[in-house]
Amino acid sequence: MTITADPVLSAPPPAPADTPTQRPARRSIKLGMWVGVAWLAALALCTLFAGQLSFVRGYDTKLKVGGKTGRYNIGPGTRAWMGTDSSSHDVFARCIYAARITLTIGVLATVIGLVLGGVLGIICGYYQGWADRLGSIVTDSLLALPPLLLALLLVYRMDDLNKEYSWLHWLTREWEITLTLGILAIAPFARIARAQTIALRDREFVLAARSLGAKSSRVIAREIVPNLIPAMLTVAVTGLGILVAAEGALAFLGLGVQRPLTWGKMISDGQRDLGRAWWATIFPCMFLFLTVISFNLIGDRLARRFDIREAAI
Amino acid sequence: MAGTGTAHLRNAADTLLRVENLVVEFPVGRTGLKVNAVSGISLDVLRGETLGLVGESGCGKSTTGRAIMQLPRPTSGSVSFEGKELTSMGGDQMREARTRMQMIFQDPISSLNPRRKVRDIVMEPLTIWKRGTKADRDQRVDAVLEEVGIDPQRAAESQPHQFSGGQCQRISIARSLVLDPSMIICDEPVSALDVSVQAQVLNLLEDLKARYGLTLVFIAHDLAVVKNISDRVAVMYLGKICEVAGSDELYRRPAHHYTNVLLSSIPVPDPSIAVQRHPIEGEPPSPVLPPPGCRFHTRCPAAEDRCAAEEPQLREIGDGHFVACHFPVHGGDAPVAVRSSSSAG
Amino acid sequence: MSLNVSQAATRDSGDPLLELRDVKTHFRTPRGIVRAVDGVSFTLDRGKALGIVGESGSGKTILSRSIMGLLPPKGAIRSGSIKFEGREIGNLGRKKMRDVWGKEMAMIFQDPMTSLNPLMKIGKQIAEPLKIHLGMDNTSALATAERLLQDVRIPEAHRRLSQYPHELSGGMRQRVMIAIALACGPTALFADEPTTALDVTVQAQILDLLEEQRKDRNMSLILVTHDLGVVAGHTDEIAVMYGGQLVEMAPTRVLFANMKMPYTEALLQSIPKIEDPSHTRLMAIGGRPPDLVNPPRGCRFAPRCPYVREKCENEMPPLEPAESPGHVYRCWYPVGSPEYLEFKERNEQAAAAGADVPVAIGGAA
Repeated sequence: MTITADPVLSAPPPAPADTPTQRPARRSIKLGMWVGVAWLAALALCTLFAGQLSFVRGYDTKLKVGGKTGRYNIGPGTRAWMGTDSSSHDVFARCIYAARITLTIGVLATVIGLVLGGVLGIICGYYQGWADRLGSIVTDSLLALPPLLLALLLVYRMDDLNKEYSWLHWLTREWEITLTLGILAIAPFARIARAQTIALRDREFVLAARSLGAKSSRVIAREIVPNLIPAMLTVAVTGLGILVAAEGALAFLGLGVQRPLTWGKMISDGQRDLGRAWWATIFPCMFLFLTVISFNLIGDRLARRFDIREAAI
Repeated sequence: MAGTGTAHLRNAADTLLRVENLVVEFPVGRTGLKVNAVSGISLDVLRGETLGLVGESGCGKSTTGRAIMQLPRPTSGSVSFEGKELTSMGGDQMREARTRMQMIFQDPISSLNPRRKVRDIVMEPLTIWKRGTKADRDQRVDAVLEEVGIDPQRAAESQPHQFSGGQCQRISIARSLVLDPSMIICDEPVSALDVSVQAQVLNLLEDLKARYGLTLVFIAHDLAVVKNISDRVAVMYLGKICEVAGSDELYRRPAHHYTNVLLSSIPVPDPSIAVQRHPIEGEPPSPVLPPPGCRFHTRCPAAEDRCAAEEPQLREIGDGHFVACHFPVHGGDAPVAVRSSSSAG
Repeated sequence: MSLNVSQAATRDSGDPLLELRDVKTHFRTPRGIVRAVDGVSFTLDRGKALGIVGESGSGKTILSRSIMGLLPPKGAIRSGSIKFEGREIGNLGRKKMRDVWGKEMAMIFQDPMTSLNPLMKIGKQIAEPLKIHLGMDNTSALATAERLLQDVRIPEAHRRLSQYPHELSGGMRQRVMIAIALACGPTALFADEPTTALDVTVQAQILDLLEEQRKDRNMSLILVTHDLGVVAGHTDEIAVMYGGQLVEMAPTRVLFANMKMPYTEALLQSIPKIEDPSHTRLMAIGGRPPDLVNPPRGCRFAPRCPYVREKCENEMPPLEPAESPGHVYRCWYPVGSPEYLEFKERNEQAAAAGADVPVAIGGAA
């Protein structure tokens, strides 16, 4: 923005109204959000009720051609919408089942990042001083390491721990990946929580609460946290998309879950035969892509709705 | 203006608040420099009195108000409230003491949590301190809301943004009243409001003060507003007090040149009065590097060499009228703005 | 909103600089149509200063933006005629208005911090419009910028050219805004609450500066404010707005000496006076400004007026000329009329009788 005598440019927006350039953009963002919501809703319904839906085949159902199974024996078409994979399973059905574990990992990892990062960020922002310095060291080091490298290290280390200590038997690959992604998500959440807390802490209603004799814990719980929710929700939705994609990337590197499928695992399994049976790779990719973009579209809309600057994210 | 010194403090039995040599400094980043927001001021307020603190932005008046509340704690100096020293109190004691004094802020909307119902906001102090039973608390909140002119029913259903600025300020006042404090610090409570609403809020404060026997510290930059509500006024400039006097006395016979300038800068709502200004050029110097001697000497129309070298102390020039100036304005030289006008009023 | 208003308000010979006829600006909102400006007519002569006074929500800001063509494009319904130097500008598009902005009309705003670009040097911000509108080259634009800074009394003008807004104080920033507004020599300067964010001493300086520049440049000044005190000493004429309408307009001295509209009177009386002893009870206007989606049927001030009668509630009073030329008002029972005096006496008796005045309540609804 430049300042000239042209008053439009220097004018603060006269009313909560759109300028002509903004309007189409805003409308398409709104539309984008609904497309995203529609996709995720459909996916969630299919996934939850996969067993009851007639058009979704069973997880282990193998399709036979002439009474025999075979690698990629059916291409996309009326019999199997998205063809079959290397072991004659219906790709569409498997994509739906894979969504379960993919989304569960994504949501759990987001919750871990949100809770840990949020608490860390609020403490840093509210108390400042040495707490802030310590917290900043943690987040900065998390951000300084290449995320992929960090993920590899964490997963391998947890593999070892799992073997070493019997009480860690619950630490399956799914949990390892969930924890890893959750840890990776801490830093961004902590950053935004800290920035927002600092902005809120000097607001007069927070000062008013303190002048009423409220304890810090109460000030945080009653005055700060409710005002953090919009921003954190926005970051969480966008972050969910990123984490779903990250899970795919990890699976592609061979750090996939073992038995229940994820999209990432399907993509990494199918890509070897990409030339022979493109459908076994492309359709899981499509699911992943649509889901990630849906989260982003919704996140965008939320960010605008709550007026959260991208710089803060 | 510089005035340091405690000559103006009274030794009355019913002193509610006594501030001595209050200093508040903030570091400037990591430069090693500091903002001298408040540089050794002393004040006292008697029970039932209204003290006005007036000055331009950056003079430290709001910082003083907050330092009295220990939010944040002052760098040095003493704040004694109801006979107890606040600066040495521990956290829990301090929280308890804060219930006896309350604060109202400038921005009526920003001082209410946007995500809570208005009634809960007003109830909050009682909830924090678990006063009485639920029924007692409800009754108390309803009574206070009625008293400030807010419908309790509507308050239960609405959030702050559904009220106008003036109504939000009433809500803030209600919140500060529910704990029955003995003192309220009002930090520019009407400067964000339209004149017509400002009059409503000022009248409300006067009524509540009479009803509850409140003591007020009223911080504002508008001298006419301060004069209207205060018994005694302290004029501040760049972290120091320049003049303290009873409010009618101060406006009748301003002794400090800065007070004079402030008074003559007030726009007079009457075009038939040709205001004779005592103009000063420029704006206050930075509180990071305040001028030596009298802090006002760089802009003072009557400054002499002595003013730059020696800091004036507050001294009495009339009954309860104190000024920190080597060469005060002589009596009788009242600013032209203070003339009876025929049409106004 | 009778049309004779413009005649009443036009005193001098020659074309007025600005002529408004029945200007309406309404907004479509989910709640209904907001009649923000509802039929305003007046004229303003070249080189004069007009104060537009009213509470928030009176339509004063929307009116000044309607004249400037600075309304949001969406939801605004405009009608009526706005003539500037004899040319109809009420229906000009944004593109055409660009030629008017800066060169013929300029505006300064309340908050000098948000109106300046924080990342651009002061010199460049002033030079930009000179280059765009007057086609100056960089050197002469900067030289002009320096002269403008001197005009608005900024010390060390040359050094300031290369400073950023955050290096200046609030008063200095407002001076820079004025310099930018003056850059292309506008014939009319709109100032929307130009001093509300400033301290009293700085406010006085800025108002003096605006007046001095107006006289030097023979420019018209439109000062929009809620404070009658601000306009009293710095305008030739005052227009008082209430509920989207003009309720009184007069030359400044006439208005203060002989105000007709009880609202104007109440507005003046609600200001604390420095000459009154402390603890003087202020005359507050109870209640709240009208809802402009469903404005009152009669006089819009009727619900809050202490002198209200039945007629006021049912019939909207027209703008009528008063005795002195150029003075118009909108009231059935103006200040000084027998009906007014009768009710005033009644109110005073009531106040005296109810000695224990209850806590003043405004807008309890």
